[in-house]
Amino acid sequence: MYLILSSIFFPILAGLFLLIRFRTPLSGENRAVSRKTLTSLIGALLVITAALVVAALMCAKDGFTLFYLTKNLPVCFRIDNVGRLFSMLAVIAIPCAGFFSFAYMKHEARESRYYGFYLLAFGVLNALCFAGNLITFYLFFELLTLSSMPLVLHNGSKEALMAGLKYLFYSLCGAYAALFGIYFLYQNCDSLTFTADGALRASSIAEHGGFLLVTAFVMLLGFGVKAGMFPMHAWLPTAHPVAPAPASAVLSAVIVKAGVLAIIRVVGMFGRDFLRGTWVQTVWLILALITVFMGSLLAYREPVLKKRLAYSTVSQISYILFGLAVMNETSFTGSLMHVLAHGFVKAALFLCAGAIIYKTGKTRVAEMRGIGKEMPLTMWCFTIASLGLIGIPPTGGFVSKWYLALGSLKSGLPVFDVLGPVILLVSAMLTAGYLLPLTIHGFFPGADYDYGGFQKKEPCRLMTVPIVILTMLSVLTGLFPDMVAGIIAMAITGR
Amino acid sequence: MDFICNFPFFSILLSLFSGTVCSVLPAKAAKIVNRVVILAVGLMSAALLLYLLSTGESFIYWMGHFPAPWGNEIRAGVLEAGMALFFCIIMYLSMAGGAHKLPGEVVESKHNLYYILVNLLLSSLLALVYTNDMFTAYVFVEINTISACGLIMIRQVGRTIEAAVRYMIMSLLGSGLLLFGLCIMYDLTGHLLMSNIKESVELIVANGEYQIPLIVSVALMCTGLCIKSALFPFHAWLPDAYGYSTVSSAAILSSLVSKGYIFLLIKIIYRVIGFSVFNSTRMIDVLFVFGLMGMIFGSLSAIKENDIRRMIAFSSVAQIGYIYMGFGMGTQAGMVASIFHILSHAATKSLLFIAAIGLTDVSGGSRRFADLTGSAYRNKWAGVAFTAGSLSMVGVPLFSGFISKLLFAQAAVQVEGKMLASLIVLGISTVLNAVYFMKTVIRIYTATTETPYEGITFRHMKAYAVTLVFFILLNVILGVSSQPVVNMIGQGLAMFA
Repeated sequence: MYLILSSIFFPILAGLFLLIRFRTPLSGENRAVSRKTLTSLIGALLVITAALVVAALMCAKDGFTLFYLTKNLPVCFRIDNVGRLFSMLAVIAIPCAGFFSFAYMKHEARESRYYGFYLLAFGVLNALCFAGNLITFYLFFELLTLSSMPLVLHNGSKEALMAGLKYLFYSLCGAYAALFGIYFLYQNCDSLTFTADGALRASSIAEHGGFLLVTAFVMLLGFGVKAGMFPMHAWLPTAHPVAPAPASAVLSAVIVKAGVLAIIRVVGMFGRDFLRGTWVQTVWLILALITVFMGSLLAYREPVLKKRLAYSTVSQISYILFGLAVMNETSFTGSLMHVLAHGFVKAALFLCAGAIIYKTGKTRVAEMRGIGKEMPLTMWCFTIASLGLIGIPPTGGFVSKWYLALGSLKSGLPVFDVLGPVILLVSAMLTAGYLLPLTIHGFFPGADYDYGGFQKKEPCRLMTVPIVILTMLSVLTGLFPDMVAGIIAMAITGR
Repeated sequence: MDFICNFPFFSILLSLFSGTVCSVLPAKAAKIVNRVVILAVGLMSAALLLYLLSTGESFIYWMGHFPAPWGNEIRAGVLEAGMALFFCIIMYLSMAGGAHKLPGEVVESKHNLYYILVNLLLSSLLALVYTNDMFTAYVFVEINTISACGLIMIRQVGRTIEAAVRYMIMSLLGSGLLLFGLCIMYDLTGHLLMSNIKESVELIVANGEYQIPLIVSVALMCTGLCIKSALFPFHAWLPDAYGYSTVSSAAILSSLVSKGYIFLLIKIIYRVIGFSVFNSTRMIDVLFVFGLMGMIFGSLSAIKENDIRRMIAFSSVAQIGYIYMGFGMGTQAGMVASIFHILSHAATKSLLFIAAIGLTDVSGGSRRFADLTGSAYRNKWAGVAFTAGSLSMVGVPLFSGFISKLLFAQAAVQVEGKMLASLIVLGISTVLNAVYFMKTVIRIYTATTETPYEGITFRHMKAYAVTLVFFILLNVILGVSSQPVVNMIGQGLAMFA
């Protein structure tokens, strides 16, 4: 109990402390503490938090109730295997991007605010993974929006402010739509504690079956906002790229996954048997496939690297949602694997983009010719991570997409069993189309390139090591998929 | 009868007479008397609340020991005592939070007049809460109007006089309608005491007589009180009245005065007309529709506003709409949600007014958003408090606003015909709230490098900062451990019947 609580509240309190204590600007003459002290302090905080989370993941067994919000609404925490998987992603990606930002944020203003909210978001994310019922989850879902919004509007420009507001309003609308559903679930379930196989009363299903389907759909759409699903995806390509690169990495790799986690929980509450074969599943499949295709297409046409990566997130998250919508175990396994695979890959890609911006100031893909000669290690990592996203063995992306396609083919759904894998393939092709040109032109700039002009621009260790770790992980999940699949199998069967 | 049963009478009388005493005291002494009286009334209400919770039943107090139907009566139950206690807390905090601004806002020679008005306001609120007699209620409605008008006008800037006149006209219209309704009711039943009227009304309804006069009377009383509490189409007086009066006045007016009238309406619904009779009239649908419209139009006006005080004032229109929506559901759960929202809104809105003044103070007194940029850095306590208040208004969990929305939604789910409308409007209104409150929060936390305004530190505003902390605590307590409060409301409503 104390491990779970401390893994949630330690980073939150630490973040608040940073926000309150170090308000003065850290750069310039009147800095409060030297930058080195601050970064080592935050590094220590990140490591301690990560250690607490790992300890909680390994040791904590039982759930517990913190307090009662109203009579039947406890705020309670419990670690189950789905939560464990998401937490694993967070606990690796967030500290990695955190260390990366020590180098990246050197020239940015208001660093302590950034780290304060960074830690806050970390704590809230842990709480989200460990939440034991829907109302606790909703509570921290709102807090996650609020604590990650300052990361988006960090640089304070007009564009960033508008992006932050856009993010806020989309998320709030989505969260409210979800809350709307929670009210109904609350009426029709005995408790809001998470289950995997439906908590609806049999009498309610018989009585309000049609209405409950509408509720399920509204909740899917609502939580789908956070995951960037089709009709409500527009905030994502605006908000993610304006954040500082390490923050975009966390937003894109981890925080959007909160929406995925939410949808897994919601489907669990309604029960897959209740939703399977209904119009909700059909519409959901259509929306997910549209998003997969559209995201890739938009990414393919996008000239700015970070925006391109953000569009790619839109597309990739919907791979996961597609897998969930198919609703069999194989595709579910694929989805969860893709959560990990995409998380590591996207974090690595955004960090690479950050390293490029930090060293050269280039943001457009067209400017990046010959970048591989200047920053070979970064670009190698970028290439390997790209292969992971495209889904080429032996990377994690291959295994997850394999499961997704297999699950879809086995599902026996009309039309979608074949259409799904086809669209996934086309989208993978597009993914190759928008990521590989960077590698190709980066390493082979062509004959007219001025070979004499380039200097070595490899960034410092603080930047390269996190990138390398994330890239390696993205490959390792592909080399040893059994390990991941084992956890997922546990998540499916027992908890 | 225990000695403690005298407490409601004592509290009304104490605040009434302390008002008179204030007129001959110097300003400083008047301030102390005012604070002590609010505290004393608060303590008495708390003791009374504990007493009532332990006995578990309400009591009726005969003024001068004349039995009904001749004597005047005071009635106290859990809800009344709790409301009185809550009003005292909010009033004390609002006075404490605005105290440092008073010298700048009101001419020195009028300070004790100010405290007279506040004491009178308190006594009239207490009387509205406790009385069991319709005519006494009407008298104190008038006293309430006059003292509220004085509180608006005492800051003699051109705009406040206009606002006060507007408030006067609208309010008197409201009291006039209330009086008409009352007269018809008296004509129908021949009684002025609430319990006696209710018995007669039941008879009338059972016999099926006088249907139309009864409905007309109910409609007139409702409309009168709606005007006075600024339900949507009658809200035109509100933004100026709240926006330009002194800080404490604005906080008290928005969180207490309108709530006093609403509480009277609740008493009328339960104790005069009878809950089931009231629900069988078409009146609840009217209240429901205007409540919903208020929720949306109030927020829309707030979004267009470029003045932080007026924005908060318009947000009150929306919140009053929530309360009437709860009435309109016509269920016990809806009523509980409305009463909880009365508490939650009172705690939040006064916090916002008090916090906003801290922000405008460090922006050269300007209320324009452009000047408020970055003001939260100049006055950190006010910034945090404003953020907390905004989050509560938007309905983020852990704050009181979330619980009231939850209660409203739970109540709505149980009402067949009104469920979708209320949930959808609740959703739209939440998002609209988020639009203008979060916009403001981001604005006050946007750092500016070149600013002509000085910041202020904790040392120069200790009392103010402590008040804000209490306000935030009140909000969080209502948000985190709402169940005891909800239970108490339920118990109090049960005592009403």
